[in-house]
Amino acid sequence: MAIPELKERWAGRINPVTIGATRAGGGTRGRTITVGGQMGIPYLDFDGQTPNPPVIALDVLDQAPADWPAPLAEVYRDVWSDPAAWAVRAKQLGADLINLRLVSTHPDEGDRSPAEAAATVRAVLEAVDLPLIIWGCDVPAKDQMVMPKVAEAAQGENCLLGAVTEGDYRTLAAAAQAYGHKLIALAPCDINKQKQVNILVSDTGFPLEDVVIYPTTAALGYGMEYVYSILERGRLAALAGDRLMAQPVILDVGYEAWRTKEARSGDEVAATWGKAAQRGPAWEAVTAADLLQGGADILVMRHPAAVEAVRKLTRDLVGESAMAAAG
Amino acid sequence: MIIFSERINGMYRDVRGAIAERNKSVIHQLAEAQLAGGADVMDINIGPTKGDPVEHFVWLAQTVHEVTDKPLSLDSAKADLLVQAVPRVKEALPDTKLVINSCTAAPQYMEKLIPLAAATGSAIIGLTMDQEGVPGNVEKRIECGATFLMTALEAGIPIDDIYMDTIVLPVNAAMKQQVHVIEAIRQLAIVNDPPPRFIVGLSNVSTKCLKNRLLNRTFLVMCLASGLNAAIVDAADRDLVEAMITAEILLGKQLYSDDYIKAWRMQKGLPVSAEAAEAEVV
Repeated sequence: MAIPELKERWAGRINPVTIGATRAGGGTRGRTITVGGQMGIPYLDFDGQTPNPPVIALDVLDQAPADWPAPLAEVYRDVWSDPAAWAVRAKQLGADLINLRLVSTHPDEGDRSPAEAAATVRAVLEAVDLPLIIWGCDVPAKDQMVMPKVAEAAQGENCLLGAVTEGDYRTLAAAAQAYGHKLIALAPCDINKQKQVNILVSDTGFPLEDVVIYPTTAALGYGMEYVYSILERGRLAALAGDRLMAQPVILDVGYEAWRTKEARSGDEVAATWGKAAQRGPAWEAVTAADLLQGGADILVMRHPAAVEAVRKLTRDLVGESAMAAAG
Repeated sequence: MIIFSERINGMYRDVRGAIAERNKSVIHQLAEAQLAGGADVMDINIGPTKGDPVEHFVWLAQTVHEVTDKPLSLDSAKADLLVQAVPRVKEALPDTKLVINSCTAAPQYMEKLIPLAAATGSAIIGLTMDQEGVPGNVEKRIECGATFLMTALEAGIPIDDIYMDTIVLPVNAAMKQQVHVIEAIRQLAIVNDPPPRFIVGLSNVSTKCLKNRLLNRTFLVMCLASGLNAAIVDAADRDLVEAMITAEILLGKQLYSDDYIKAWRMQKGLPVSAEAAEAEVV
């Protein structure tokens, strides 16, 4: 009796999305980063290819963080009051992309102006040649003023801008389209809303092929499995042919992992918890490793030890040759 | 669900006249209306048009192909006509996928049409009936369906190219048959793993009934819940198509979003009209 064919044949494919532009592409980046393009369930290479391994973006804030715990402070304290210097550090630590957060534009965190935010973006673009992901301060009224200026300041650099939501998408989508950037579509842990946001973005005329989706993130021990199941369900729908779910995924692992008490607590907690210097990076690495298997394409991270662990896992999952081919 | 459009059928007087007079614009308009409604496969049937039926089929196929690359379903109850028409249409349109619609489980049909499907790379619709006519029960439908399915698989036809039609009869003439149709789908779905596709000629259920459109869409939803995944329908009937889309959402076959009807149209590359968007708000 013939052995039945158990391979899945998928009708759909995740959109490949390229971030950054070199001189040839009208920008000034040293290289571009392409994510997505998968034709099967994550890392089941007999099912379908994973042409672009997942990438890591390192966090850079536009002002010194007030609450980063010691293991992170040790890595970044000397540069964190200067976003350009911080971005250089991130590149030295092996980042594929810079994840720039314009937190100081928040009305309660300094309320910096759109022009100041644009200047920060330009400074970071000049300091490093990595592609950029840029977020506002998550206050829609302020972001609507800041992000168009930022998009203009980074014109031609093909950045990834975050984030549009179901209630607030027109301004950012228009700015991204006008100045040639990619867009993050956010729906907090809700796959049906995610699809709806994508429909709304598409309605504005923004191409769905230029969208990366952000289902929000939860850390190990804090609801990570909900995010995993959202990733899984979305990926299966996309592979079955749902073009409205065929976008690559960005996850904010570093922020979520370093909010947990397990990552933040120092050595004064119970000895069985282990040393803080290892515990925090481990929490971040394990969160990233789990969500990677659900189909994450861009991991936003913080600690170099966690980055190193995830790099090793990625090599094991996709193979050295695929990593080399992806550059 | 795979939508086979039913409208290009010589049973309709306008189509019959267009075939007889070789009037392309009538056929083009009908085809475009079906495509705008979301048709995936264009069913063509020359009906009782006078003249050479093979030439009619070739003309009708070419005329529909002028507005779409979608597969064509060649619809006739006459096996001998299909034996002549299918190779001619394949010759005229070598890159177009064909569906042979249809073949009963009677040996004299299967021995002609199943090899024809295999030779031309066509899909084929098998009716769950044999030389004794349409079964009055579920059991005989299963028997005929299983016979057809095994014969087609043995001939090397891929499972995705095999459609089973459990034969819909008018509700005003055969009241118990609708339940048989549904139950036969349910049972035939477990005869083979993976299962073949299931199709019905939907509007048969409401022939000469007053509330035909309501009957059609209600029965379609019932059949979908039992495993139906294709139907020959009027794709221009928006209520029917929207009932189908909604049923697939409720069955978990598509991901829900508030604008799920618009999403379905976007996925198909169909224009999302302001009017359609407005209707969804209601």
